[in-house]
Amino acid sequence: MAGWQFIRFQFIFPLILLVLFLVDGNLAASLGFLMKEPFHTIPMLTFTWLFYAIQFGAYKSLPYYVYVVIFGVLFDIFYTGILGTYTIAFLLGTLMMEKLRPFFDEKMMSGLLLLLIGQVVYLIVTFLSGYLIGSANLSILSFFVYLLLPTVFLNLIVAAIFYYPAWSLLQRIV
Amino acid sequence: MRKIFSSKTVVLLMVGFLVVVGLIVGSNWWAKRTNNPPFFQRAVNDLTGGAAKIISIPTNAVGNRANSLANLLNTFSENKALKSKLDGYAENKVKLQTVEEENQSLKKQLDLKKTLTDYETISAVTISRSPTTWNSQLVIDKGAKSGIKKGMPVLGDSGIIGLVSEVNTVNSKVTLISNTTEDTNQIAITVKGSAGDTNGIITDYDADKKMLVMGSVSNTANVNKGDTVVTSGLGVRVPSGLLVGKISEVTTDSYGLSKKIYIEPSSDLSKISTVLVAKSSMES
Repeated sequence: MAGWQFIRFQFIFPLILLVLFLVDGNLAASLGFLMKEPFHTIPMLTFTWLFYAIQFGAYKSLPYYVYVVIFGVLFDIFYTGILGTYTIAFLLGTLMMEKLRPFFDEKMMSGLLLLLIGQVVYLIVTFLSGYLIGSANLSILSFFVYLLLPTVFLNLIVAAIFYYPAWSLLQRIV
Repeated sequence: MRKIFSSKTVVLLMVGFLVVVGLIVGSNWWAKRTNNPPFFQRAVNDLTGGAAKIISIPTNAVGNRANSLANLLNTFSENKALKSKLDGYAENKVKLQTVEEENQSLKKQLDLKKTLTDYETISAVTISRSPTTWNSQLVIDKGAKSGIKKGMPVLGDSGIIGLVSEVNTVNSKVTLISNTTEDTNQIAITVKGSAGDTNGIITDYDADKKMLVMGSVSNTANVNKGDTVVTSGLGVRVPSGLLVGKISEVTTDSYGLSKKIYIEPSSDLSKISTVLVAKSSMES
């Protein structure tokens, strides 16, 4: 990789991460059907972009976990005001995906399965930390049916739609 | 056993776990105690809020299109229902005007300048909503600069939707009533029953039923299904007379000693694009 290309990638990757981080919040605010009761669907575009970096090997040429921690902290400060939860959720979710990556092949469906595992880890961490501060007021069954299922469903579809565009983008800039 | 504890990774993991737990619990405790977040947090919030505002322009446009399409689909039945309601509207409006005038003149006679029902509103636009599992919060585009203070009630299209929980310089966060942290529990409410009012507070939110809970109500209280619930003005910063919702179920608690009332919130919490922050006039 030429030097200038490397520098370009160093900028583009976190920039897209920042935009998706803000879009996540905006989608949750502007798309009413996502939070239509009883469902609580969470857009996880930031997490999906982090998954693409692992799936297509781009994380090797980046200070990947530095970005994960920075955006985890930013997520905590901007969206919840309670520090720690999402930093750990992002970190454990991405770590899990990276460690399991060698056991999966290159097919899209295998990639989506990997993302599914990451998403479940992410959501369960947030569920547990909600219990810690006493704001998790949903039974485990409701959590699975009304929160985890629709969230995973929506984000897997989004990840499948943008799978090849993201692949070609990461191929070009890495 | 000894081998496990001498392992460096395990020790690191345990320390890391303790630090994280401490951070989560500590910052939660700190957020409840202080009126303003620490400087660093505030600066990050203001900067990110600015960027979020720019991003929200196109996504809000797309979101509005999607919502108007969904609205179009049930316009017919909605129109029918609205028409039937409209008949009483003009009559009520005239009545309200007369009563308001009367109220003003009576206040003058009594030399009352500000009462619990008086409040000014500050309108704000939602720029973001936390895409999180718990602690559903909105980020609105008005902050300390516009006179917003922690604990002020926030109104949606039809009634109270939450309280201001964090104030930054140019934006602030709103905790929705569907959140069960202690902030929300402080809203003082009154049930407007047919045989008199019953005061109390919102004690909980039942996430499975999607309803607010008013607990510890005396068994002798006369409350019925369908009664309107409004704020009582007995709280710190919440004026009286803001619509909360309607009673949908009255049960007795597990000991049979008091009533437990389920209230259906009047506002739709799924789509909140603009809000009004109510500023009580009683507050100096």
